[in-house]
Amino acid sequence: MSTLTEERFLEIVRDELDLPLLETELENDFDQVVSWDSLYLLRLVAAVEQETGTRVPVGRLFSKRSLRDIYTTIAGATAAV
Amino acid sequence: MTTVIDSPVSAAAGEPAQPKENPDPLGRLQSLARAKTLAAEYAEVAPLLAELTRSESAASDLVRAGRVLSKLSPAAVLEHNPAQAVIKVAVAGHSTVAALVPPLTAELARHGLLLDITLGDFDGYLRELQDTGSQLYLSGLDLALVVLDPQAIFDELPEVWRIEELQEATTAKLAQLSRLAEKFVSNQPTATLVLNTVPLQRAHTHQLVDLRSRAALGIAWREFNAGLLRLSAEHQRVAVIDFDPLIAAGGPVGDARMACYAKAHLGDELLGRYAREVAHLTRTIKGLTKKVLVLDLDNTLWDGILGDDGADGIEMATTYRGEAFGNFQRVAKQIGSQGVLLAVSSKNDQEPVEEVLRTHPDMVLRDTDFVRINANWNPKDANLRDIAARLNLGIDSFVFADDSPFETGLIAASIPQVAVVRLDEEPALHIGKLLADGWFDVLELTAEDRERAALYRTDAARQDLLDSSDDFEEYLANLGVTLTVAPVSESEVARVSQLSLRSNQCNLTTLRMQPDTVRELSQSPDHLVLYLRSADKFGDNGLVGALFCSKSADGLTIDNYIMSCRVLSRGIEQAAIGALLAHAKAAGLGPVHASYRPTKKNHRVRDFWPSFGFERSGGTDEAPDYRHDLATPPEIPGHLRLRASFER
Repeated sequence: MSTLTEERFLEIVRDELDLPLLETELENDFDQVVSWDSLYLLRLVAAVEQETGTRVPVGRLFSKRSLRDIYTTIAGATAAV
Repeated sequence: MTTVIDSPVSAAAGEPAQPKENPDPLGRLQSLARAKTLAAEYAEVAPLLAELTRSESAASDLVRAGRVLSKLSPAAVLEHNPAQAVIKVAVAGHSTVAALVPPLTAELARHGLLLDITLGDFDGYLRELQDTGSQLYLSGLDLALVVLDPQAIFDELPEVWRIEELQEATTAKLAQLSRLAEKFVSNQPTATLVLNTVPLQRAHTHQLVDLRSRAALGIAWREFNAGLLRLSAEHQRVAVIDFDPLIAAGGPVGDARMACYAKAHLGDELLGRYAREVAHLTRTIKGLTKKVLVLDLDNTLWDGILGDDGADGIEMATTYRGEAFGNFQRVAKQIGSQGVLLAVSSKNDQEPVEEVLRTHPDMVLRDTDFVRINANWNPKDANLRDIAARLNLGIDSFVFADDSPFETGLIAASIPQVAVVRLDEEPALHIGKLLADGWFDVLELTAEDRERAALYRTDAARQDLLDSSDDFEEYLANLGVTLTVAPVSESEVARVSQLSLRSNQCNLTTLRMQPDTVRELSQSPDHLVLYLRSADKFGDNGLVGALFCSKSADGLTIDNYIMSCRVLSRGIEQAAIGALLAHAKAAGLGPVHASYRPTKKNHRVRDFWPSFGFERSGGTDEAPDYRHDLATPPEIPGHLRLRASFER
């Protein structure tokens, strides 16, 4: 069980989702991220859970509008364990 | 290891330098994609995926590869590779189906097939089956996948439900799907409808607290699934993929969170296994079924090395490991009993191998189970090519199973068309590895399938007669060929369809036909569908060919002529065409038209029509059309006894 750093989160986004994002793009609303859909979120969750060994609160993530929001929620959850 | 290092013969011959395989196939795929050259280098994809499939992380790597590949547009691949085979698939489902795209793309690409996919709407399957304008009714479609999950039933139940309501729901759903399948078959002329049985999960059964109702739920559910499976028996173009064995392989049906939040009721792992089944179903429908299984011997069929341990030292029963090899032999024999030709390629001396196959008390497989036994010290790629040449079959219809990474690597790299089953040092896993892919799947078995091995074996006796004859004329005269040409009736439909799907080399226009098409044409007054059945003094050859003709005011058109290459050059084709032309002349059907349409495989029959007096009447040099004026139909060869009838 390990805390997820922002750098590692960004790596997972790049490798697993094949989305070549810059750090600054973490903040972007999903409307500005090309072809973002719920399947990306599912893959992201699976990869993060595999990486940290901690369950991610999936139900809370669907309402998030940016990768930054998702990261904050996940980091909060993994740190709390 | 089956490679015998200390054998003087082997050492003298020396192992060939092995072609390199790619150590990181996924990385190679990703770098081709990044360099934007993947479409141009598409031919590399299938071998890379074959390599990737052997890794420990094959399931997830295939999905990753599928994601990379699904970003390519089929048009871009076709632009660089005009001859690339495309499979047109439409998907509909009760829940989210988009997750099926990457695994299906990858599983088809493993077989060198390019996926062109159209997805339906979320929960759109009923409307899309009903609406003949939906993606499921696209023209030229190969497969219509309708992916069913448990919610398709449970969504129909009231908020609080009793077992009676569940029973009504499953009965109604089955009736609804039967009607829709019927509608599909009568309105979609090309595609096969693919349904699946629906998994029953604990989260459903245990909503009922009384055990009696829970048992009744189990019964209703299985009756629903059995009813679905029966649909495939009722309709030629409906296939039902049974999820039970896919789920029994382990892992969850899905993730409850993904099901709830993303309406993804079937998980990635299960969809991956489903995609593999769909890819093999595609091969089956397209006639790409493998025909030959070539097996190694040492540490593949028995424990030990014959050359070192001797016939008494090898085990295939009685010891722990021996029993595992015996079980594997039984499965190989089971497959061989269903029309798959078994052959041996082993680095051994021929005589001791034949001795073991004939006399070893524990052997399950016998010499008579194999159509070729190649035990020698030549490289195995040369042996596979030799077996293909002797059997007169394309090497792309071969599956090769061996425990030696050297041998499997050699075949994978030097003959990539061969499907390679990489066995290892654990014989208890041999069966699972052999059956992991449905290489030999067919729609249905014919009488010829069950007799195929015997048919091929008698060819050895014919070869002996040929070798002992002074010339070919004498051979033919002694062979005593009889040929029957007659209209196809119901009992020949399955075999004629199978021949049209399997034959590649002696197939003049390569019109592939499913059984219902053959049946329709055979009953049409404007068509004449004939079968050829031959025999000789060594035995029955079975149904070896077919002629598809259509009648019109312009005369008689031979839409296709197909024949099993096994019986080529015995005068059979000349007699069949001669008889047909004589009939056309006598019945006043007018001049006879015929065509040749080239494929990668049928070049040896390019000059088929001119050799029987047909004259060029049109078409292109590559794809010529011919005409025969019937002034002098080809003679029936004298060495052959012909029985021809043309009336049903």
